[in-house]
Amino acid sequence: MEKKSKKVVVLPCSGIGKVFGALARETTYELVERVRPDSAVTTCLAKLVIGDAETKQLVKENPVITIDGCPKECARKSAESQGVNVARSFQTIDFYKAHKDMKPEGISELDETGRKLAAIAADELGQVVDEVAIEEEKK
Amino acid sequence: MEEFLEYTYEKFIFKVKTGYWYSHADFWASIVNSVALIGVSDFLQKAKGDVAFLETISPPTTVNRGQEIGKIETIKATFDIISPVTGTIVEVNPEIETSPYLINEAPYGSGWLYKIELLDFEGDKAELLNDRAYFEVMKKKVLEEARKLYGEKK
Amino acid sequence: MNLEITKVGIISCSGEELPEGTISRIACRKVLTDLKPNETVTICLPLFIAGGEEERKFAKKYPTITVDGCEKLCAAKSTEMFSGKPSKSLVVPDILKKHNLSAPKKLRHFGGEDQAAIQAVVDEIAKSVEEVLEND
Repeated sequence: MEKKSKKVVVLPCSGIGKVFGALARETTYELVERVRPDSAVTTCLAKLVIGDAETKQLVKENPVITIDGCPKECARKSAESQGVNVARSFQTIDFYKAHKDMKPEGISELDETGRKLAAIAADELGQVVDEVAIEEEKK
Repeated sequence: MEEFLEYTYEKFIFKVKTGYWYSHADFWASIVNSVALIGVSDFLQKAKGDVAFLETISPPTTVNRGQEIGKIETIKATFDIISPVTGTIVEVNPEIETSPYLINEAPYGSGWLYKIELLDFEGDKAELLNDRAYFEVMKKKVLEEARKLYGEKK
Repeated sequence: MNLEITKVGIISCSGEELPEGTISRIACRKVLTDLKPNETVTICLPLFIAGGEEERKFAKKYPTITVDGCEKLCAAKSTEMFSGKPSKSLVVPDILKKHNLSAPKKLRHFGGEDQAAIQAVVDEIAKSVEEVLEND
């Protein structure tokens, strides 16, 4: 299949107060570095909010998914407040709920269990990236 | 009357809803006629963290004040839901079964846990704290939690 | 200034795109939990920009130190946008340059060879906290 030049932009919250923020960040890295390095990219949420031109162009031209840590949904809300039509949104607390035996720890850096959970979450989200990319192709 | 009493510690704003009754276990009861809605106080939900799992008991069940009537699990802790009142559970909040985060987001509103038909509220009241009394108790608990987190570090 | 100011808000950029962003995050947490736990409070930048009441109120009332991973200064600019100019704005590449250190090569999972870079930023933040509290 011919690859489109568009990428799926993955925006994590990277919340610094809770382990779920760290999980969102690590999941994003797993997604863009390992699971879908050719079709997914990330950028900084705050760059979008301060009006960085390059970032605004990126989210305008490419579909966006947000990965939040918790139901406060800071990434989704901030992206939408900047006019982004978020294609899909996720919360890492839901990945923890689905894998209750894997309790992540660490906020500045996840522990081993947290990294494993992030890897699992990213594996699941790989499919979402594909779906979003296909939807974008059809537009 | 102000809707909440507020205590700020560092960046955290701890709220106590006025007009409610509170137990020492940090659960609230809002009384209308002979029915109570009960829930988790703002202090307790902040102290324990984001709710991930919930275990509730089905109505109709008779409960006593101080009895364990379910469990809440966050990433930090699992803690018991302790009934602040005596009576019969007639309803579990249907929204929290699917959206347990309401307990964190709106602990005094849509995050209520149970509806209980009261049996002896006068007896319960003797053991409960009104909003202002709980506010003072809560402030001490906030400081105690902070001491636990920071220890004796300067 | 208000004699009762004994706390400083530390705001790290989220900096997913650069190793310096991750350094900022790690260093800020280290200062918050290990070096200055009683003098500092973490302001979660995404919550802050999404409208977090507690974060914004704190940042309006107390001095803040922002730590950015690059010259875009997202943390500093966001803080100024929503609460007020930070008392100090630190930029990780400037700190590393000052100490003749290189940034890590990876975006995450730093090794032993990267600890000097993290420590330099930690020390700079801690020093800034002391200076801000002295001046306030």
